[in-house]
Amino acid sequence: MEEAKAVKENPLDIDSSSFSPDVYLDCLLKCATLKQVMDKEAEIVTQSQFLQSEMQTLVYENYNKFISATETVRKMRSDFKIMQEEMNKLSENINKITTFSSQISENLQGSGNNVRRLCGTRQLLDKLQFLFLLPSQLNKAIAEGRYSDAVQDYSHAQRVLQKYGNQPSFQSIQTECSEIIFELKKTLRERLISPNTSATELAESVALLRQLQESDSSLQDIFLSCAESRLDKHLQMLSSIAEHTDILDWVEKCNNTLLADLAIIISCYNEMFEQEAIIPEFADKIMIQIFHLFEEVIKRPENNGTEMLIRGLDKFFRKLQAMTEISSSDMMSSKGTEVVIQCINHKAMVQYQSIQTQFKDSLMKVRQSLASKGSETIDLKDILNSLQVYLMQKIQASLLDLMAFLQNNLSFGLKPWCAKAVADACSKVINETMANLSDLVKKMACLQTSNNNIPFELLLILAKLCLDMQETGVSTLQNHLLKLLEEAAPGLTVDNKDTSSVMVHLSTAAQTALDSEVVFIGQTAAQMLRVSVLARDWLRAPEPRGPRAVCRRVVETLASADGAASQLFPTSIKPSSDSSRRTIWSRAPSSFSPLNRIFSERIEVFSPAGADRAALSNGALKVALKALVECVRLRTFGRHGLQQLQVDVHFLQQRLSCMGNDERLLNALLEDALASAQLRCVDPQLMEPSIVDIICERG
Amino acid sequence: MEDGNSIIYGLEHQTRSLSPQYAESEAIRFLIGTQSLKPNSNQVHVVELEEDTGALHTKVFKHDIGEIWHLRCSPHDAANLVTTHNTYDPNTLQCTMGVSIFKLPTLQVIPKDLDELSSLQGRNAEDLELLVTIKPEKAEEEIRCAEWHPTDAGRLGVVYESSVRVHDVSSGAAVCSMKSDGRTRLKLTAGKWNPHQGHTQFAVLQDMHIKCFDTRTDCSKPSWSIDNAHRQLVRDLDFNPNRQFHVASAGDDAALNIWDYRNGKEPIFNRTDHSHWVWTVRYNSYHEQLLLTGSSDGRGLLYAAASICRDPDDDSEKTGKILEDGVLQSYEQHEDSVYCSEWSTVEPWTFASLSYDARLVISRVPRPFKYKLLL
Repeated sequence: MEEAKAVKENPLDIDSSSFSPDVYLDCLLKCATLKQVMDKEAEIVTQSQFLQSEMQTLVYENYNKFISATETVRKMRSDFKIMQEEMNKLSENINKITTFSSQISENLQGSGNNVRRLCGTRQLLDKLQFLFLLPSQLNKAIAEGRYSDAVQDYSHAQRVLQKYGNQPSFQSIQTECSEIIFELKKTLRERLISPNTSATELAESVALLRQLQESDSSLQDIFLSCAESRLDKHLQMLSSIAEHTDILDWVEKCNNTLLADLAIIISCYNEMFEQEAIIPEFADKIMIQIFHLFEEVIKRPENNGTEMLIRGLDKFFRKLQAMTEISSSDMMSSKGTEVVIQCINHKAMVQYQSIQTQFKDSLMKVRQSLASKGSETIDLKDILNSLQVYLMQKIQASLLDLMAFLQNNLSFGLKPWCAKAVADACSKVINETMANLSDLVKKMACLQTSNNNIPFELLLILAKLCLDMQETGVSTLQNHLLKLLEEAAPGLTVDNKDTSSVMVHLSTAAQTALDSEVVFIGQTAAQMLRVSVLARDWLRAPEPRGPRAVCRRVVETLASADGAASQLFPTSIKPSSDSSRRTIWSRAPSSFSPLNRIFSERIEVFSPAGADRAALSNGALKVALKALVECVRLRTFGRHGLQQLQVDVHFLQQRLSCMGNDERLLNALLEDALASAQLRCVDPQLMEPSIVDIICERG
Repeated sequence: MEDGNSIIYGLEHQTRSLSPQYAESEAIRFLIGTQSLKPNSNQVHVVELEEDTGALHTKVFKHDIGEIWHLRCSPHDAANLVTTHNTYDPNTLQCTMGVSIFKLPTLQVIPKDLDELSSLQGRNAEDLELLVTIKPEKAEEEIRCAEWHPTDAGRLGVVYESSVRVHDVSSGAAVCSMKSDGRTRLKLTAGKWNPHQGHTQFAVLQDMHIKCFDTRTDCSKPSWSIDNAHRQLVRDLDFNPNRQFHVASAGDDAALNIWDYRNGKEPIFNRTDHSHWVWTVRYNSYHEQLLLTGSSDGRGLLYAAASICRDPDDDSEKTGKILEDGVLQSYEQHEDSVYCSEWSTVEPWTFASLSYDARLVISRVPRPFKYKLLL
């Protein structure tokens, strides 16, 4: 930087501003040779000569330009003088034109007034002619039925007539017209009252009368009463055809007659009277009746076809919406949505009722096939599956059917309230079907206990069905519903329905069915044992040769139930115990020891059954064997009788130990039976266990 | 005992029969009969509860005539009792049943002095005075029970397995016999006099049905009946002491039903709280709302059935004095089936239940319920 400044301010640079000729000369004289100084002098001389000539050229050029500019300025000054003269001439001419034109307009004013007066006279004459022709015009118009023209003419003329009515020439016209109009009014009133006039004619008549300055309130009354009677007639007609037309026709008729008329009446009324106090009330009254009728039509069984119902409903709803715009009544629109929702609910109800009856039918078939099966075994799982699939399909089909209410092309299909109603209705279908199922099962279970012939397999199947529904079925259906709703009405948020009450229903139903099955099987076996114990003479019984036949039957009964249960209910793995071969009197049956009981658990005989095979079998075993104990205590045994019972008990122990999973329970009950028999024995001597074994094997 | 603790009394042999002393008006006494097939081992125990101290005093009498299936004290004479008994004859290898009327030599149970106490502690069984024994017509015919006529001290109703006969007490002869239609071969289970209707009706239990015969006719048609009173066998019934058409029944379906027998289609009260057959049901004779049941699930239940014991002009509901229907208390001191339970006829709040393992449990109605009924 410093250096650059130094270079810039170098006094030796000849082009620089700080050039100092003395320094330069000194420097040159000091540093250069003579030759170089001579050369430098020559160079500088040529350079200064060149600069001199260049300066001269520039001076000449500038001088030329100055001269040409001076000439141009001189020329412009002479041109402006000519233009000034022209302008003066123009302003003179304009002044002249102005004076001429004012002269002309003064001349024309007189004739213009004349023309205007002529026109006015002409108009007046036209009016007069109209007035003079008015009566005949009116008559003609009335004769031709153009009442509105007549009224229009009359109202035109009336002002004039009123103004000049006191002049004799007009007076006659006025009276004549008044007479005609009076007649007209009479005709119009008659038309109002006559039942044959259409709503448009009616409205027209009223409008005309109003123009003829009839008093409002009486007109209003007449209008309303006429309208009402007309609408009533429509209503009657509609209700009479409701019985035998389908919904589409009915809605068509309704829209074309009643609703159309109502719309006309409402709009006319609003136009004419500009009061809205009465008409909505009146319309509401009519609409309520229509809705009633419509509900009846919906509920008629032949209108169950969804497609038709929806189309009819759509038409009706569209009309209603149109009506809503005309009448300012809120009720119309709210009622409209209500009708749609009601329709959806009704449809849902029809659906779940039909599902219920169909399910009942299929259940009857299953019941019959189970009852008539004889001895062959039936795959219960198959039946369960078919019932389940049947039920699920039915529900899903009806859900799909309900989705038809959400079609895009329907007037209400895209409304959120409609989607919500459909979602509610769908959940209702699911819930109601499940509740119906539960009730049905409960009822069957109750019937069962009152000795009705319902196969126990059916109870098992129903219990399992209820449990499956509770575990997966309901949630599957809910998810299915959500998917359908997502497709039909995307963006609709469905609040999760509370299904806990349905679940409780289902599980209690399942429990009732299971309990009833257990009690039924147990009681069947118990009854066999009871009858056989009570009927036998144990005192004088012969020596035992084998288990009594009833024991086999009891085992068969319990085993068949166990087999059926094993098809449907999961088997919890039975712990293999060494004691399975233990004979129950290996622990010496203490003759009568309350102490034993203190340490054994209390056995609840009729207790709720668990939903697995072992628990079901345990339940039935308890019921049967406790009965054996109690019956044994009512008898007196001889020695052989006791031994026979010993054999029976041993046999039962052997055969039943594979059922259920509570061997302690089985043994405790059988032990109890044998101990009770010992107590009731006059000569209590038991057989050798080995002999009992042999007898049992042989038998 | 006042705190709801029960008093337990144990016997040596199995027991199936229990009766309060109906004619006694001061002492709380119960009689128990044992059921043992060992010869000469059966006894009648008289148990008295000393109300003030809560102590139990007992006296034992021999009953050598056989095992006792049923025992009933006379409502006319506190000393008289009737037993239904069964004897095994090893010679003929046959059992014979019979009904015997005995007289207690003394009603005194609580010892007066120490001497008597020591003699009692030896538990020397005393003899009963046998008045009369009624034998069935056929030796092997079974007898279910014998019931004193409620008013006529000279009459005894005896339920056989297939008929009911009314016997004269002094001679033992049958004065009247009722048999259900010959068509049904269902055996009878038990029976009881109807305390209303002029004491002429005798109700019997036949399988699932209840039938009531008029003893004045020999007609085989019952004067009223409740068919299918229970879904299984009916085990016991008891008449409401106040309402002449109400009868409670218990059965093998574990249910307690109360009927208005004028309309025997549906019970007016139905509860299933036991988990096995119900063998006994008793109305409290002072408070008809209270019922007692015993079942082979080893429980005694104290029930309230107040809703059906309300008169139209009764305002107890408004004052909140009514008991809620259902089980008031469950008594679980028994280890075996409870075949008998009886209210004391002297003290309205005391009752006894007896199980097969010879355990007598004397309990009281819990105080809250008592106060609710009284106040």
